[in-house]
Amino acid sequence: MIKAILVFNNHGKPRLSKFYQYFNEDMQQQIVRETFQLVSKRDDNVCNFLEGGSLIGGSDYKLIYRHYATLYFVFCVDSSESELGILDLIQVFVETLDRCFENVCELDLIFHVDKVHYILNELVMGGMVLETNMSEILSRIEDQNKLEKSEAGLISLKNVNLPNLPNIPQQIKDIKLPDLPQAIKDLKF
Amino acid sequence: MLATYLYCTLSFINTSDLCAVDKKKRMPAVRGDGMRGLAVFISDIRNCKSKEAEIKRINKELANIRSKFKGDKTLDGYQKKKYVCKLLFIFLLGHDIDFGHMEAVNLLSSNKYTEKQIGYLFISVLVNTNSDLIRLIIQSIKNDLASRNPIHVNLALQCIANIGSKEMAETFGTEIPKLLVSGDTMDVVKQSAALCLLRLLRTCPEVIPSGEWTSRIIHLLNDQHLGVVTAAASLIEALVKRNTDEYKGCVSLAVSRLSRIVTASYTDLQDYTYYFVPAPWLSVKLLRLLQNYPPPEDAGVRGRLTECLETILNKAQEPPKSKKVQHSNAKNAVLFEAISLIIHADSDATLLVRGCNQLGQFLSHRETNLRYLALESLCLLATSEFSHESVKKHQETVINALKTERDVSVRQRAVDLLYAMCDKSNAEEIVQEMLNYLETADYSIREEMVLKVAILAEKYATDYTWYVDVILNLIRIAGDYVSDEVWFRVIQIVINRDDVQGYAAKTVFEALQAPACHENMVKVGSYVLGEFGNLIAGDQRSSPAVQFQLLHSKYHLCSANTRALLLTTYVKFVNLFPEIKHLIQDVFKADNNLRSADAELQQRASEYLQLSIVASTDVLATVLEEMPPFPERESSILAILKKKKPGRVAEPGTAGNDAATPKERKSPALNSVGNHSTHNTSNQSTDLLGLTSPSATSASQNPAPLVDMLADVFSSASPPSVNNGFGSSFQPIDNLKKFACKNNGVLFENDLLQIGVKSEFRQNLGRIALYFGNKTSFSLQGFSSSVGTPGDLTTKLILQVKPVDVNVDAGAQIQQLVNVECVDEFLEYPTLTILFLYNGVQQRLSLKLPLTINKFFEPTEMNSEAFFTRWKNLSGSNQEAQKIFQATQPIDASHIRTKLIGTGMKLLDGIDPNPENYVSAGIIHTRTQQIGCLLRLEPNRQAQMYRLTIRSSKDSVAKLICDLLCDQF
Repeated sequence: MIKAILVFNNHGKPRLSKFYQYFNEDMQQQIVRETFQLVSKRDDNVCNFLEGGSLIGGSDYKLIYRHYATLYFVFCVDSSESELGILDLIQVFVETLDRCFENVCELDLIFHVDKVHYILNELVMGGMVLETNMSEILSRIEDQNKLEKSEAGLISLKNVNLPNLPNIPQQIKDIKLPDLPQAIKDLKF
Repeated sequence: MLATYLYCTLSFINTSDLCAVDKKKRMPAVRGDGMRGLAVFISDIRNCKSKEAEIKRINKELANIRSKFKGDKTLDGYQKKKYVCKLLFIFLLGHDIDFGHMEAVNLLSSNKYTEKQIGYLFISVLVNTNSDLIRLIIQSIKNDLASRNPIHVNLALQCIANIGSKEMAETFGTEIPKLLVSGDTMDVVKQSAALCLLRLLRTCPEVIPSGEWTSRIIHLLNDQHLGVVTAAASLIEALVKRNTDEYKGCVSLAVSRLSRIVTASYTDLQDYTYYFVPAPWLSVKLLRLLQNYPPPEDAGVRGRLTECLETILNKAQEPPKSKKVQHSNAKNAVLFEAISLIIHADSDATLLVRGCNQLGQFLSHRETNLRYLALESLCLLATSEFSHESVKKHQETVINALKTERDVSVRQRAVDLLYAMCDKSNAEEIVQEMLNYLETADYSIREEMVLKVAILAEKYATDYTWYVDVILNLIRIAGDYVSDEVWFRVIQIVINRDDVQGYAAKTVFEALQAPACHENMVKVGSYVLGEFGNLIAGDQRSSPAVQFQLLHSKYHLCSANTRALLLTTYVKFVNLFPEIKHLIQDVFKADNNLRSADAELQQRASEYLQLSIVASTDVLATVLEEMPPFPERESSILAILKKKKPGRVAEPGTAGNDAATPKERKSPALNSVGNHSTHNTSNQSTDLLGLTSPSATSASQNPAPLVDMLADVFSSASPPSVNNGFGSSFQPIDNLKKFACKNNGVLFENDLLQIGVKSEFRQNLGRIALYFGNKTSFSLQGFSSSVGTPGDLTTKLILQVKPVDVNVDAGAQIQQLVNVECVDEFLEYPTLTILFLYNGVQQRLSLKLPLTINKFFEPTEMNSEAFFTRWKNLSGSNQEAQKIFQATQPIDASHIRTKLIGTGMKLLDGIDPNPENYVSAGIIHTRTQQIGCLLRLEPNRQAQMYRLTIRSSKDSVAKLICDLLCDQF
C-alpha cells in the first residue's frame, strides 16, 4: 500500500502532499521535512529506494523516489508494493502531468494544485494503484475537462467584469528563477 | 526529455508576464479561465522575501477569507471555489486551516461539477474521520453515488476511499459490493468501487462480503477491462489475507490470467502494454496474490504456473526491446516478483537455482536499483535449503559490493545478505570481511553490524578462541557501538567454557596493553582477569602485580560504573593473589575512593577494604569464589537484533548445510556445562550477566553478617543503568498535585514503572484502581504495593486494599483496587509504597495515593439567591479562607472551567454579577457529617493573579480546600 505521495522541490518546498493514512497537520509537515532531508542528501546516481524515515514507519516502509530537474517525487510504500512497479508509476504520473499541462514545470504544480490532485486521483485511490494505462487516464481527465468547459461559459463572462486587477507585471519581475546552467547539469534521463 | 520541458517553460517566464504564461499554458487540458485571484495570491506568496512576510501575507488572506465566509451570504459558487482553493494552497505551505470546512461541504451539493470537485478535494485533504461534518458529507456522497454520471459517482467513491471512516463503512458497506459486481456498472466505476471497498475493509473488517459475493468478486479476475482486473486483484489479495480458504478459488483464475498476459505479444494488450511489457502492474499483482497460497495442488494449474514462471525467466535473457529504463524497470518488476513467488513456493529446485542465477547476474548490473533488489531477494533465497548453496557462489561479489558500492542503502543490503548466507563453512571469512568493513562503515549501520558479527561469531564458533578474538576485535574497532549485551555475552561464554578461559585472560591482558583502549575493553578485561587472572599469573610478564598495575592504569580514565567493576575485580584479586593485598588495600584507602563523591564507589571501597582486613582466607575464598556457570539461554543479542528489525531477521543460516546440525548449534557455548545447582536463576533468566544471584546465593551459605551487605554490593555490578529506579535517561514524573482536579490519569512514571489511576466516588465512598505497567523488558519480581494511613489518618479514612500479583511480566500491566470510605475530613494524603526486585535489585517507591477531601464532594445546584444567602450565612472567622496567588499558566476560561468542574463542586453559571468570576458549590460527605462549601474564584487578567475564596459550614474545612486548590490554576 502507498502510505503517502510527496512532491517537493530542490529546496524542500512542498508542491503536493497526499496521505493515504491519517496524520495530523503538524505530523504531515514533519514527515515532508524528514523525507526531504533523507532524499535530498543522496547523489543522483545512487539507487531510488531507501528505508523510510522514523516518522512514517521506519524500516518497514520504503521511500521510492525520482528526481526530475527541480522536483522530487517521493512515494512512501509498505512491503506489499513492488519497488520497480512504483518507480514506473511515478513515471506514469509525471508523464500524465506532462501531457495534461503540455510540458509540465514546477509552476504548473504551484498554480494548479487542485488539478494535480485530480490527476493523481485517477492513478491512485485509497493508497492502491487504480489505473496505469495513460491513455485511459487521459481520456478520463478529458471527460472531466469537458464537463468543466460546459460550465465555464457563464463563469468567464463574469470574470470579464472583475474590477481592480492587481498590478501584475510588477509582480512577475520578482518571480525567482533557478540558476539555469547549474540546474541543467542535474537533468536526468 | 521531460526534464528539458521543465526548463523550457521555466525560462519562458523570464520574458513574459504571468498572463502570457497563462495564455501559453492554456491548452485543452487545463482550466484556461483560471481563478485569477488565486494566481495573484500565489504569486504574492512566491514574491515574499522572508518567512515573516509570507506569514503576514497568509494571515491577511486568511482574515479576508474568514470575513468573506462569515459576512457575505451572497458568495456564489465560483467565489467559494476560489477561496477553498486558496485555503488548500495555504495548507500545503504548512499552515493549519481551521475553517472553511462548512463551505466545502456546501460545495458538495452544488450542481456545478467544478464546485463539487473542489469541495471533495478540500474534504479529502482536510477532513479527518472523526469530524462532526461526516454526517453531512455522507449525505452528499449518497446523492452522488446515485448519480447517473460516472464522474460524479467516482468523486463520491474517491471521497469514501480517502476518509474511510467507520460511519462510512457502515453506511456504504453493502452498497459498494453491489456496485462492484453489477453488470450495469461502468468499468471506471467498478475499478474505483473495488479499491473503495478495500479501504473500507481496512477500517472495518466486518464489511467483508462473503457467501455468494465471494465467487462474484473472484470472477472479476476474468473481467475484460484490465484496469478493473488490476483493482480487483488488490481487493482480492486483501480479502485472501483475511480468509485464505474461502477465496482459494482465485488461484486458478489468477494463474490463467497471468498465463494469458505472459504469453501475449506486446501488441495484444494495446494500451496496457507499457514500454513493450504487457500489463506489468497486473502481472506483479497476480504474482503477489499467488504468494498467499502454497503451490497449486491441481497438476494442470501448477504446470501452467511453472510455464509462466519459466517464460518470465526466459524473457529476462532476451535482448531488450527498448533501451529506455522504463522498459527494463517494467520487465524486471515482473521478474523480481516471479522470483519472489518461486522462493515462496520453495519447492522447485530447478526454478530456484535459475532464479538465483538470474539474481547473480543482477549483482553486477550497472543499474544500482537492480543490484539493490538482487541483494534483497538473495537474502530470501539464502534461507531456502535448495538454493542456499547457489547463493553462496556469489559470496565474492557480495563482499565486493560491501567494499565498493557508493550507496549506503545498497551496502546495508549486502550486509544483510552476508548475514543470511553465513554458515559453518564460510563463517570465518564472512565475519572477517564484516570486521574489515566495520572499520570504515557508515555510522548509521555500525550498531546493527556489531550485533550481526557477534551473533555469527557465537553461532558458528567451533573454536572459542576465535570467538573471543572476534569480540575483542569488535570492541577495538567499534567500541562505541558495542552494547552492554555484547560484552555481557562474551563473559557468559568465557565463564561457561573452561577451555577458553586461559586464552581469554591472556588475550585481554594483551589487549589492555594498548595505550588507548575502549572502556568496554576495560570492562571485559577487568571481569575476565578478576575471574581468571590466576591462569596467566605464572608468567612473569603477567604476574599479579603487573595485572593489577595494568588495570589500575586505566582506572582514572573510566566512568564510575567501570570503576565500580574494577573495584570488584581488585577485591577478587585479594583472594586470588594474597601477595598483592597491600597494594589493593592502598587503592581502597585512597581518598578518591574511600571519600569518593560517588556513593557507590565509596561504599564499595569501604566495604571491600573491611572485607580484606576482617575476613579470614576461608571466608574470602567463599565470598569471592569463581562465578558459577550461567544457565543456558537464547542469546540476548539475537533478541535485540530481532527487536531492531522485526520480521527482517532470521536466524542466520537456517538452511542448507546448517540444517543437518541444528540442535548442536543452539547456544553451543553453553551446552557442555551443567547448571550450577545452587544457581537460583529461574526468576532472573533475563538478567544478562546474572551477577546478582550467584554471589548472593553462594554467599548465603555463610552466616557472617558481612554477607548480607556484600550481596547488596555485588548486586550493583549488574547493568549500570538500572542500579536504582531512577535511571538517568528518564526524569520521573509525579503528577500527584494534578489529581486534585481530576480522577484519572498517570500518577507516576519512571524508567521502570508507570502508575495510572482511575477513580470514582459517590457520597463518602470511593473506589480507586491503580494500574502498574512494567516498562522494562524484564519481569519485576516480588512486586508489592501497599497503602498506609500515617498518624491520625487511620481514624479518618477506612481503606481496603486488594493484593496484587507478585510478578509483573515484561511489558505487562496489573491492576490493584482500593476501596475507600471517608469517616471524617482529612488533610494528609495516604502513602503508597511500592516494592519490587528489578534485576535482582530491590526497588522502593514512596508515593502518595491521590486521595483528597474534595473527592467526596457532591455537586450542588443552586440559584443566585440561594447562593448569596448561604454565602452571607457563612461569615464566621474560620468559615472563610482566602488566598491571592499568581497564575501558573495563562488565564484561559476553558482551562479554569475544566479545573473547577474537576474539583467535584458544581460550577454555577450566571450567579456572580461579574461574568469574569466563577462560583461553585458542593457538599462534602463523610460518614459522620455533611459539610457545605462555596467557592469563588476571581481572575485578574492584567496582573495574572487569582483570588480564591472558600466558605464552608465547618471551621477549618475552608482552609483545607483553599490550600488544596490554590496551586491548581
